[in-house]
Order: sequence, then structure tokens, then C-alpha cells
Amino acid sequence: MPPRVTRLLHQAAMATLSIALAVLAWAAFAQYFAYPDLVPSPWSTFETGAQMLSSGALAAHVGVSLQRVLVGYAAGCAIGIAIGALMGRIPVVRQLADPVLQLMRPISPVAMVPLSIIWFGIGDMSRYFIIFYGVVIIMIMNTAAGVASTPNIRLNAARCLGARPLQIFRRVIIPSAVPYILTGMRVALGFAFMGIVAAEMIAAQSGIGYLIMQSRTLLRTDIMFVGLVTLGVLGALIDTCFRLAIDRTMKRFMEHQVNV
Amino acid sequence: MHWDKLALEDVSMTFNPGSAGEYRALDHTTFSVARGEFYCLLGPSGCGKSTVLNLLAGFVTPASGTIRMGARPITGAGTDRVVVFQDAANALFPWLRAHENVEFGLLIQGMPRSEAAQRAQHYLDLVGLTAHAQKFPYELSGGMKQRCQLARALVLEPEVLLMDEPFAALDAISKRIMQQELLRIWQQFHITIVYITHDVGEAVLLAQKVAVMRRGPASCVKDEFAIDLPYPRKPTDGTVTATYAKVEASLQEEVGVSLYAA
Repeated sequence: MPPRVTRLLHQAAMATLSIALAVLAWAAFAQYFAYPDLVPSPWSTFETGAQMLSSGALAAHVGVSLQRVLVGYAAGCAIGIAIGALMGRIPVVRQLADPVLQLMRPISPVAMVPLSIIWFGIGDMSRYFIIFYGVVIIMIMNTAAGVASTPNIRLNAARCLGARPLQIFRRVIIPSAVPYILTGMRVALGFAFMGIVAAEMIAAQSGIGYLIMQSRTLLRTDIMFVGLVTLGVLGALIDTCFRLAIDRTMKRFMEHQVNV
Repeated sequence: MHWDKLALEDVSMTFNPGSAGEYRALDHTTFSVARGEFYCLLGPSGCGKSTVLNLLAGFVTPASGTIRMGARPITGAGTDRVVVFQDAANALFPWLRAHENVEFGLLIQGMPRSEAAQRAQHYLDLVGLTAHAQKFPYELSGGMKQRCQLARALVLEPEVLLMDEPFAALDAISKRIMQQELLRIWQQFHITIVYITHDVGEAVLLAQKVAVMRRGPASCVKDEFAIDLPYPRKPTDGTVTATYAKVEASLQEEVGVSLYAA
């Protein structure tokens, strides 16, 4: 067997074992220590999950949440990259924007929920905003750092090869910042998933966050657990896809960049 | 454009003027490089060699004085003066293959892809990178990276090559090979080369004229040595060693400590 296959098999085996051990611990805890109403067993959770899957209810909630994440995330990335690029290149923009950003950074998306409801009402716009807010700040920060870190010598090289400022920006500065931008996008994706739950816990009629919140009112911890597990699986799955996509398409920008 | 010499005229350069970190790098520096000449700037580290190169490249503007190429003052970077940097890993674009690095300057001028590829290929052949055209910079050895930088510069058919200690990071043997290659290219293209080094031996083997710079701060060119010896020069030839001794004596005065102390 080629060493690469052996390594992959080993990784897969360890991942399976890790999850199996966690489920086992969960089952033991539910069985011996906790009230069944408070901690549902893995089996009853899976059973509820399977029912919700076959009825299409789970997929509907997931679909709604994903759509909200996508809109807020895409807007946050686009605007964050644009502002971050300006900050990284124009010192006065950086000097003006940075203090405000440092003040905004510790304000979590959850803290913005009440405000966004007042501003945007209880519709989807307010949920887009909460996710957007969580994503945009980290994208600004990472893009600005990446853009500012382009080695001077590389900029000078481009200049003496005849590149004009806009060409330098597009063909040298942005590619140099790609590792920072993509890392930011990965971290921001996690923030978007945290934001969606917060956004859907209040005044929503659908989505995973709503599902979790509603199951509390009904005292259905099994549904709650289905919601939590779904969040975990979904987040990990999307992150893996994201990573694989980067490896496939952005490899030349990610590896062997000096000073990264 | 016609020009006969590339000249610094009474150039001074101050970094961070008016602040606590004010540093006078160059003080009333004057020298000129004839068209087609191989000109070496030699000096101890921190003497402002790289500042001179940045001025010639047009990356920075002097505090006072002018830099001219013929009658035309240099006010910015241009493809008539291309720089080969010492730090090739940062100077090359790491996300572009060797041939794409060479094509870069052509494509941003708007040259069609196929023509740019053809020209790049020609210059990759010329510097001996034919077999490595598809590699990324990190896959190239130090010497090959510098060949790639050379091809990237030459493809634009510049009038002047500005070289900032281009082979200083190479091992001794690669360095000698690259020096031979550079001389071959210089003779083939009748190009003007301004070459910065702190290595007396390298200066004496390569240059038609060696300028020794004063120790910083407030440096300037203090001695010029014309070396009228035929190429290729052997480091062991008597005429070469005699020149070496003269240049080193001049440099020794600028080095804080004795180079011969036991």
C-alpha cells in the first residue's frame, strides 16, 4: 500500500474512533448519571433525527439557516475585503478605521441582536446583518494585515517591471494577501455559524437556531440535541469543503509565500 | 532614446528628516556610469550602496541633487532600468511559475499571451532555465532563482541592469558560475550594469570600473578604479591580484577594524 493511502486510512480510523468514543461517553452519561429528560441518549437523538430527516423538517430548517448564512457571509466577505484592502494600502484610512475596529471587535454578534431587531425589524434582514457584522470585522482585519504585509522588495520589483499602481494592486498585492484573506474567510465562516444561531433564537419562525430554541419551550431535549449535532456536523462539513477547495484551487497562493 | 551616461550629480539622501531617527545616508555623491559599462559599487555594509541603487531605479527620490540618464532626469521606476535583487525569494512572485514570472512584465504592457510566452521562452533558454520553466520559485535553487530574475529583467530589453548583491546568498561555486553567465550576457547584449557588492574579489573579476564608497553615515564615492583587463579574468593572475590589493587597500580604510589583525 502506498504510504499516502496508509496515512489516510490511519487518519480515518482515528477520526472514527474519536467520534465513537465521544458517543460512548455520551451514552454512558445519559444512562447512568443524568435524568433521561435532561440528557437524551444518543439512540433516541438519532431516532428523532431520523424522523425529522425523513419528514423533511430538518432539511427545511438547515436550508433556511444556510441561506441566511450565505447572504450575510458573502456580503461580509465582499465588503470586508474591499475595506481591508483600502486600509492596508492607504495609511490615513488605516489610522482612522483601526481604533474604531478595535472597539468593535470585542462586541460579539450576539450583542448586536437587539439592536439589529430595532434597526431592521424581525425579518431576515436583521439576521443577515448579525451574520454580516460578525464576518465583516474579521475580514477587514485579515485583509488589511495581508495587504500591508506585501514585501516591499516585491512591490519594487513590480514597479521596475513596468507595473502601474492599479496593476500592482491587482497582480501583486492581492495575490500576496491571499493566504491572509482565505484564513480570515475560514475563521469568519465559524463566526457566521455562531451568529446564525443567535440571530434565529429571537423572533424567527424557522432555522436551526429556532429549532433549538423552540425545543426548549417544548422541553424536547432530543430535538435540541438534533439541532446541536446538526450544527456541529454542518459546520465541520462546510469547513472541510472550504479547506479542500482552497487546496485544489488556491495552492499556488497558499504555499511557499515568504513572510507568511 | 539616446543617452551616453547614467549619473548621480551631487546627490544627498536623508531618511526620516526632522525626526529623532534622522539618518544622512548619502552626502553630495557624484559619479557616472558610461553606457555599456560594467560598474561596481563596493563598500562596507551600511554605506548606502543600496540607497544608490534605489535612487537609480527611481524607487526613491533624493533630498537634493539629480539623477540623470543622458539629459533626462530620472523621476520614477521604468523598464529601461530593471533591478535584480539579492532576496530572490521575495523579489520573484511565488505564485507564478518561472516562465510566468518572466512573462509578467510583457503581459502588463499588453503583449498578447502567445507572443509573451515565446519571448519568455527565448530568455529562459538564454539563462539556462529551459528545463525548469514550469517550476515555482520555491522549487528552484538559489542560483536558478537568480537566473529567473535575470530572464525576467532581460526579456524587457532594458538599457541598464541594476544588480543589488545578486549572488551574495549563493555558495562559492554557484557564485562563480553565475558571474561567468552574467559576463556572457553583458557582452552579448552590450547592456549597462551597475553592480553592488561588498566582495572585493567579485568586483575585480567583473567590473570595468570599481567605485569604493565611504563608510556611512553621510557616505559618498571616495575612489574609482578603472580596471582595464581582458575577460575572462582569473583570480590568480598577477594583474588581477595587483588590482585586488589596490582596491582592498582603499576599502580597508573604510572598515572600522583591521582586516589583517590576527
